[in-house]
Amino acid sequence: MTSLEPTGFVALSGALLGIGLFGILTRRNFVLLLISIEIATNAAILNFVYFAAFAPSAPLGISGQSIAVVLVGFAATEVAVGLAIVLALNRAKGTINVGEVTELRL
Amino acid sequence: MSLPEVAFALLAAIAVVTAIASLLVRELVHTILWIAVFFVDLAAVYFLLDAPFLGVLQLGVYAGAVTILLLFGVMVTRKRIFSREAATGIGPVPTVLAVLTVIFLATTFGELPSGEVAIRSYDPSTLSVNLFGPNSPWLLLLGLIMLAAVSGAIYLVREGRE
Repeated sequence: MTSLEPTGFVALSGALLGIGLFGILTRRNFVLLLISIEIATNAAILNFVYFAAFAPSAPLGISGQSIAVVLVGFAATEVAVGLAIVLALNRAKGTINVGEVTELRL
Repeated sequence: MSLPEVAFALLAAIAVVTAIASLLVRELVHTILWIAVFFVDLAAVYFLLDAPFLGVLQLGVYAGAVTILLLFGVMVTRKRIFSREAATGIGPVPTVLAVLTVIFLATTFGELPSGEVAIRSYDPSTLSVNLFGPNSPWLLLLGLIMLAAVSGAIYLVREGRE
């Protein structure tokens, strides 16, 4: 049976969330934005998987791992919609730089 | 340090380095290659945590599908695939915000249970009962959301739309 300390996992997921946040705030390319969001999502999924070890072993009901499975599906869906937005943006504007798409700005 | 601790330290270091590298390299294709390494590395962490089903899911969905989708996105939006991105700099405000977030999360370390926690191996059949069972809406919910997302994506990219 493996045993690991919680501090390392929380430190890793905190660091990944920080890196994702940094990417979301600094990058202007839509694909890089999607990648940053994926890094931050993975930090959350890692927490769910690790802290599932703390829950009592209930055969039915919500568990950390089942939430993680659903989250992986959500993340894949989000990338598919993101790619559709990239294609639509590229067709309409000729660029995927989000700094140049300012139609909704007041 | 026991063997799992050494393995986790190595995997965590690789995860942080590849995540930073994916955001700082200048070629978009290199970014996607780094992020593929990151996804495979996280799958190894899930295997270390005795979560084989999630490890395989991570390999299939993230390292496989998401990476290919991102590569496809780069491929169809560029004239030359290996063209450099006009990299935006590392602004001081976002860096400070990201570091502050990490420090804020680090302040919770005192609240965590101390000592090692035995990782309870999770039987995939229990997980499947959680996901597919008669009383669990998870897969149905995920399917409905994916259906809505696919309809939205098709609407966005369909021909003749201005």
